[in-house]
Amino acid sequence: MTTKKTDAIVIGAGWAGSILAKELTEAGLSVTILERGEDRATAVEGDYPTSIDELRGAIRHRLFQNLSQSTVTIRNTTDQVAVPYRRLAAFLPGEGVGGAGLHWSGVHFRVAPDDLALRTNVIAKYGKNFIPEGMNLQDYDVTYEELEPFFDKAEKVFGTSGEPYTIKGKVAGTGNPFAPDRSDAFPLPAMKDVYSASIFKKAAANVGYHPYSLPAANASAQYTNPYGVQMGPCNFCGYCSGYDCYMYSKASPNVNILPALRQDPKFTLITKAHVLKVDLDSDGKKATGVTYLDLRTNQEVQLKADLVIISAFQFHNVHLMLLSGIGEPYDPVKNTGTIGRNFVYQTITTSRAWLPSKQYTNLFVGAGGAGVAIDDFNSMNFDHGPLGFVGGSPVWVNQAGVKPIAAAIGGPGGKAPTWGEGYKDAMVETYRHSLTIDAHGSNMAYRDIYLDLDPTYKNAYGQPLLRMTFTWKDNDIRMNQYVVSKIEPIMKELGATRYALGTLHANDVFDTRRYQTTHLGGGAVMGADPKTSAINRYLQSWDVSNVFVIGASAFPQGMGYNPTGMVAALAYWAAYHIRTTYLKNPGPMVQA
Amino acid sequence: MKHCTFSFTTALGAAALLVLGHMPQARADASADLVAKGRYVAEASDCSACHTIKGGKPYGGGMEFKLPIGSIYSSNISPDPAHGIGTYSEAEFARAVREGVRKDGASLYPAMPFPSYARMSDSDIHALYIYFMKGVQPVAQAAPANGIPWPMSMRWPMIFWRAVFAPSVASAQKDVNRTFPTPAIARGAYLVEGPGHCGACHSPRGIALQEKALSASSGTAFLSGGAPIDGFVPTSLRQDQRTGLASWSEDDIVAFLSTGRNLKGESFGGMTDAVYHGTQHLTVEDLHAMAQYLRSLQPNSPNVAAWQYDPAAATALQHGDASARGAKVYVDHCAACHRTDGHGYAPAFPPLAGNPVVMSDQPDSLVHVVQSGAALPGMTKAPSAFVMPSYSQMLSAQQIADVVTFIRGAWGEQRLPRRCGNGHQPAEIRSPAGAGRKTRSAELNQRQRKVSGMVAGHRKAATDAQKETGAGSSPAPVLI
Amino acid sequence: MKMPSPTRRHFIGGLLGSASFWLYSDHKVWADALAVGNAGPYAPRYFNKEEWRFLNAACERIYPTDAHGPGARGLGAPEFIDRQMDTAYGRGELWYMSGPFVSAPANLGYQLSLPPREVYRQGIAGADAYVRAHHDGRSFADLEAAEQTAVLKEFEHGEMALGAVPAHLLFEQLRQNTLEGVFSDPLYGGNKGLAGWTLLGFPGARADFMDWVNQEGAAYPFGPVSISGETA
Repeated sequence: MTTKKTDAIVIGAGWAGSILAKELTEAGLSVTILERGEDRATAVEGDYPTSIDELRGAIRHRLFQNLSQSTVTIRNTTDQVAVPYRRLAAFLPGEGVGGAGLHWSGVHFRVAPDDLALRTNVIAKYGKNFIPEGMNLQDYDVTYEELEPFFDKAEKVFGTSGEPYTIKGKVAGTGNPFAPDRSDAFPLPAMKDVYSASIFKKAAANVGYHPYSLPAANASAQYTNPYGVQMGPCNFCGYCSGYDCYMYSKASPNVNILPALRQDPKFTLITKAHVLKVDLDSDGKKATGVTYLDLRTNQEVQLKADLVIISAFQFHNVHLMLLSGIGEPYDPVKNTGTIGRNFVYQTITTSRAWLPSKQYTNLFVGAGGAGVAIDDFNSMNFDHGPLGFVGGSPVWVNQAGVKPIAAAIGGPGGKAPTWGEGYKDAMVETYRHSLTIDAHGSNMAYRDIYLDLDPTYKNAYGQPLLRMTFTWKDNDIRMNQYVVSKIEPIMKELGATRYALGTLHANDVFDTRRYQTTHLGGGAVMGADPKTSAINRYLQSWDVSNVFVIGASAFPQGMGYNPTGMVAALAYWAAYHIRTTYLKNPGPMVQA
Repeated sequence: MKHCTFSFTTALGAAALLVLGHMPQARADASADLVAKGRYVAEASDCSACHTIKGGKPYGGGMEFKLPIGSIYSSNISPDPAHGIGTYSEAEFARAVREGVRKDGASLYPAMPFPSYARMSDSDIHALYIYFMKGVQPVAQAAPANGIPWPMSMRWPMIFWRAVFAPSVASAQKDVNRTFPTPAIARGAYLVEGPGHCGACHSPRGIALQEKALSASSGTAFLSGGAPIDGFVPTSLRQDQRTGLASWSEDDIVAFLSTGRNLKGESFGGMTDAVYHGTQHLTVEDLHAMAQYLRSLQPNSPNVAAWQYDPAAATALQHGDASARGAKVYVDHCAACHRTDGHGYAPAFPPLAGNPVVMSDQPDSLVHVVQSGAALPGMTKAPSAFVMPSYSQMLSAQQIADVVTFIRGAWGEQRLPRRCGNGHQPAEIRSPAGAGRKTRSAELNQRQRKVSGMVAGHRKAATDAQKETGAGSSPAPVLI
Repeated sequence: MKMPSPTRRHFIGGLLGSASFWLYSDHKVWADALAVGNAGPYAPRYFNKEEWRFLNAACERIYPTDAHGPGARGLGAPEFIDRQMDTAYGRGELWYMSGPFVSAPANLGYQLSLPPREVYRQGIAGADAYVRAHHDGRSFADLEAAEQTAVLKEFEHGEMALGAVPAHLLFEQLRQNTLEGVFSDPLYGGNKGLAGWTLLGFPGARADFMDWVNQEGAAYPFGPVSISGETA
């Protein structure tokens, strides 16, 4: 075993890791990122036109985790035997430099402030008994006002396009009236609305909702960010989700942070480095570094450091904490422990409208982050009292560029055949003349939904796989059904010749074969109470104070918004407090 | 990535003390100051572009220059006493840099731009010498022996070349000290004409491949555009409309030299190396001085009207009409980044409309970029790297000629339609000045020439240098 | 198809020499594309003669020739699938393939130990055996088109096993791969003449809609172009 030393280790070269590495090198630390995948740079393998290849990209998963080395096991309930997630389908974690931040779409929200203290707000408004039995509703222990400067910073780094509503308390634009106040405008104006989104916008307004153009980390114009890196404008090519953006207009660590970071001599990037565990000292209270497997030489390497940042994908963070013995594993029976607790996801269902044959929706035109949404049924923007569920969903047309293989395999929709006679007619109608509306909603945390180590299956390095116990619960199914029912008036208003509403159904179980979202969350959540949270409000481990765990793993419940904006803000928030407080006086920043 | 063409390592350079701002102590000791100054002079003079090979030790030499008569290699200029210049006195060093004479008295090939370096001040030469002796690690390796067979390997004819074409240090220094309108322009002239050796590429050459003018004082040929190098045509750096820098502001020039990109264009070919190794390291003050000097150069072709944007091509494409010759190829392969209106998305993706490269009478640069693609590396002040793919395997020669014709007709050479009509004549085979190519195959060069000849409006006349050297034949060996 | 295949081969040949090419994790796919010639009918490299007949017939029923244009055979989908068999995907190298392999509820996903190439090998053998047993000894390829469609519908919804492969699983493998072949870039052997994209109105690898973000419902005007520059 080789032993080396650095000031700080950052595990994973996605958004969270890149942000932390940038901030910590700015603070003068030597920083090493360990990334288990390949190095990736847009100018090298994301180029035009070879990256415009659906088969190699979204279908064969060029930028995604290769499950042959490591995966998770999944079961719906605690009485089942979990089996491996053998093929990528329901969710798509990334691999390689950029991580999921390279293959994401670019929808770039802040947070609904009510969601940060959802437990407190629900109890205040509806009483404690409103919370269903078995739901672990929790607060983040951080406020929107505290996070605002970091949302602002992230948007400026990402080159985010959007239309504000209020800035410093004054109405400044026609953006989302439910959005929280901003300290500054978006760095770029909102993306244009594609045709589908524009007719949704009119129809939703006519129905009485409050449509707005989505904030998108797809640049609406050329942009130079505070690190000096340059972005091209999005030309709506539609190759966002599952691809690296050849126009340099979808924000990614590769485009927006790493070109500057790589110039810093204090920064080291080691790829093909699979971290096996965070090494702890004899009493388990301090991390001494990590042990990783150099996948090129198959040698184990011990890297020593004063500070360890766990910033891989959500469930990899939890997996690594369990493998390393950081914190107490969650036990759903005893209801003790925190690592693996509050594992959450998001609900998403898609509804489709068909337009008259003279109206072309040109589904291939699109941008991953662009579209038009309404927040009328998100978060606590509506009265849940008579409805009896917690949570909500934004509803949107997010035409992200529909490619032909995915469209063809998905089929024409409705009752049309998925192959054979009649298939082509139906596909032509759907591909040329339809549009989709999603309800992309929250998912609450439950006592028997969690992550732990699988007793049977192992990864290629002999370590137990992470086990997911997950299914849909009545609260979230009813929330989805309610919100989808609110789409129907829009369908009628926008001139659809016919439409099909997609909802979850009572007793639906989680189906791992169908893509839903990659917005997994929780498992190492932040909070004020070390009995119910793994990390404190600065994303510092309660148990090992020189370990910070950054990512959607910190979310106590799954929110209606896409997670990346929140992850980036939490990363800058944590980095700020590490720089201003922790480095001056290493140790627990919140007393348990 | 380094280009390796005889005598055409483009670089703009400078010398100054301003790197002191980066020194850890306000009052660093004199020797450290001098080493730092010397490093700056070396960067400004782009020494490493030729004397450091990729992946090699700094200044260890060994870069190959392929010439029709054999290969020569850049020398080891590290302070190693056996293989480098460790035994050179400062006077011997100065003589090599400014006069092209080795310690042993042999002549250097003018791949080394000593006719420009002759203008370098004693103070800069001193700092450069101290830097090479104290700031560079000795590299104990010999550069490969030159592979030019006798009799062409004889260096003695170079004595006569030097006598005729290389200025004496005294005359060069006198020219440096001529009168300038402002101190900044004087500084800019020194940097451009001297260490930067911009004219090596951007000035036309005469019969013996000598630069026709070595400074602004010797006529408007200076920096009025050079002969093709590596398949690229260096543009005029004078205030020429259309093909020169008339439309570039001072800030445009500064941005280009410090990052390889600005709102008007992006560097490619050897210029990218010149920015990467050289000009990006210069101080903002020096870059402004260079820009002010360049903007003081009167046009070489004063009667050319300013270029005007014509929206006709864009209007057609934006209405779905791609029927013009080459227009569909443009829509299918180029418009994504350069846009249907030719404005591009600068600084990420450069504009074609109004770009001097598009306006040139010679389509070579355009053809070359389409064929071979381009890569702009990240620079200190602009860390983003951008690439353009190579289309040589994707498009036929005819398609490339068509799309270049479209681009030039739409946004460049607007006299084109009158001369259009036969886009298929083969071009004469030109003698590429400095024919050495490590990075490009002869096949690719030949194809580029062929395709250039197929571009409508391609100027048939050979450049002066080509006529004088006899187009189609190898350059006279004595010049190499 | 305006551009002959040599262009494509040259293009891939060019890629082989580029630095980025070797960074592609699955570059063998591309090398295969280079290796496959254009002369004469495609000769399968993975499937044997009987399997090949089955595959051609089944692909064509899934995506038939009709008034809209060529079916899966004409578009090269069987060729596409044959070539895919010798890729990381075909060999199952993109999937977690460690045991134990146990049966589980369908919603928990694929739990067989077979990579795609084995799903086909065992599944097609089982399917032909099933068809012979139920159709007078004829193989699937020998059935009339309507009979073939009926058999595929049985597979799609049936619970029967074809050897080690559940029939619905073979069917879905076939359906997905056929549609991949019809609608992927012609680089991989299918979508010949870009006819798959033309049907849908998909513009291919041009990937630039800056002028066409919102045409108020009008159709996009330009036909498709492939990665290698082929146009329809």
